[in-house]
This record gives sequence, C-alpha cells and structure tokens, in this order.
Amino acid sequence: MVLFEALYKRRSIRKYQDRAVPREVVDKILGAAMMAPSAGDARTWHFIVVDRREEVSAVHDALEHAEPALDAPLAIAVCSDTSLEQFPNNWMLDCSAATENLLLAAHGLGLGAVWIAVWPFEEFVAAARRHFAIPDHVQPLCVVVLGYPAEEVPSEDRFDASRIHAGRW
Amino acid sequence: MELFEAIRTRRSIRRFSDKPVPPEHIEKILDAAMMAPSAGNGQPWQFVVVTDRALLEKIPQIQPNGEMSREAAAGILICGDTSLEKYPGNWVADCAAATQNILLAVHALGLGGVWTGVYPGGERCQAFRDFFGLPQHVIPLAFVPIGYPAESKEHENRYQSARVHRDRW
Repeated sequence: MVLFEALYKRRSIRKYQDRAVPREVVDKILGAAMMAPSAGDARTWHFIVVDRREEVSAVHDALEHAEPALDAPLAIAVCSDTSLEQFPNNWMLDCSAATENLLLAAHGLGLGAVWIAVWPFEEFVAAARRHFAIPDHVQPLCVVVLGYPAEEVPSEDRFDASRIHAGRW
Repeated sequence: MELFEAIRTRRSIRRFSDKPVPPEHIEKILDAAMMAPSAGNGQPWQFVVVTDRALLEKIPQIQPNGEMSREAAAGILICGDTSLEKYPGNWVADCAAATQNILLAVHALGLGGVWTGVYPGGERCQAFRDFFGLPQHVIPLAFVPIGYPAESKEHENRYQSARVHRDRW
C-alpha cells in the first residue's frame, strides 16, 4: 500500500472477524512502531502483546472503556520505560508517534485497529497498571485493539483550511 | 512511496538545500496531519506554516538546537487547541500522532524534516507563543523544519525483541 493511501484511508475499526493475527504480522507492526522518532533517540517504548482471546477479553474487563476488546483477537498496550528518557516528559510524544506508526502498519497489512487512550486519565492509568502489572518507572500510554475488520468505515475528508495559519496566528 | 518503506527509511533530516518546497506539497502534508486519529475524533490541532525566510532565520532564537531552521525552506508549528478537545489533556497524544503523519508525508514526498520539541518545555512554549502570537487556548507542541535534504542517512533497524512482553509486563 502506498503511504498516502494508508494515511488517508485509515479509520478506527472496532469490530473484528473471528480470525487470529499471525505472530509475524504482529512483529511487522511492532517493527513499524519502533521506527518512530523519539526525543534524543531514546526509544523508551515497550509493548505488551495480548494475543489469546481470553486474555484480550480480560483487558476489556480491566479497562471499562475498552469496549472493542470484548471480542478481539489482539491487543497491544503501548508503554514507556521512563527511566530510559534522555529528556524527561517526552515519553508520551514518542510513544504517540510509535502508536501512529503501529496503526498505519496495521491498516497496511489489512488489519483494523483502534487507539484506546489510557494516559492522561488517572483512573485508566491505575487500571492498566494493575492489570498488566506495570512497574512504577513505566507509564502506559494506550491500548490498541486490533483484528481483521468485520466492519467497513469509509474514509473521511478531514482537511480544514481554517486550521492553517500563514506565518503568524 | 510504499507505506513500510516510508516507515522504515524515514530519518531526521537537519541539512537542507535551498530549493523551495511547492505550496501543494505543504497542503498535502497538512492534509496527512489532519488524518491522524484523535480522542473522540476531536481533531484539536492547529498549524502555523512558516515560509518567510526572515522568520525561519529567527527560529533558533526561540528554539535551542533549532539551527537547522536557518536552512529550511519551510516550517510547520503543530499546536493543540484546547478549546476543541472532547477529552481534556488528550491533545498532546493527538497532535503527536499528527506530527508523525507530517514526518512520514514529508519523507514520502522526497523532502526531509525533523521534529524539534516545544512542549512540554515551559520556557520554549512561552517563547513560541510570543513569537507566533498564539492565543492562550493554543499550545505549541513541535516545530518541524522542512526542505529538500542536503544530507542522506542510512536506514536503521530499531527492532528490539526485549521491548515486547506477553500478556503482562
């Protein structure tokens, strides 16, 4: 798939076929995530891969807003080991860039995915920490739920010229 | 350019030739930025596009390590508009995803760019706010200088299996 097609056509997918995602596909998606830029090239990201249905549905039970995980074959929690940071408090930017790569890669491989925010919402951070047994120096950013799509969401034109300012605000 | 090639071969480019960047490229790059996912599809972003040489030459005065802006043909300031947020605090992740789309689009168009961080630096945010006349509800996230590359960088393989966990941390 051409990059711009992926950029323009990727949408959040919340319904999935009853079909497992092969490990090599998961690895390719994670490889794309790890190619993101990061402050000082610190690459503080870690990924918790959940690819057994009962474990994915346990993620749904642990995070009250993770509705799509109820019936999904795959979930990936994106976290940062903040002890690796060269420039403190950039981890959420770096991990967001990695998550965007992950979503584009998933779309490019025929999967559908949705970014479920954990940070900056305290109660979701606490719930994710508990469920995934995340240590104190690690911060969860989000959980991405994925699978082969069982719904079609048409692409959307989001271009809005009023958001573009020339030279000054 | 193919999606995975774009993701794999994108590197931070800090040296630029003096060839101008066509305005339609800038529009295509911003269109890609606005296709990023955002919490509740709130799309809480705003962009300031700088092509004025005099302004670009002044960027290093407000951006430490921002020397490359002197050579850049253009620059994009990515900002969060907190008045557009559906879930307060999530603009950081949303705008970081949009910035990653910008970097991928830049690369696929044969251009180069680099994410120079503004947020969360308090002083830098204020300096950009003053320089660009941003209103209080608009917070600068990153400044991306863009131009035709005058340096080439090798691809890197950043995959680290140690960053992948199964089910729990």
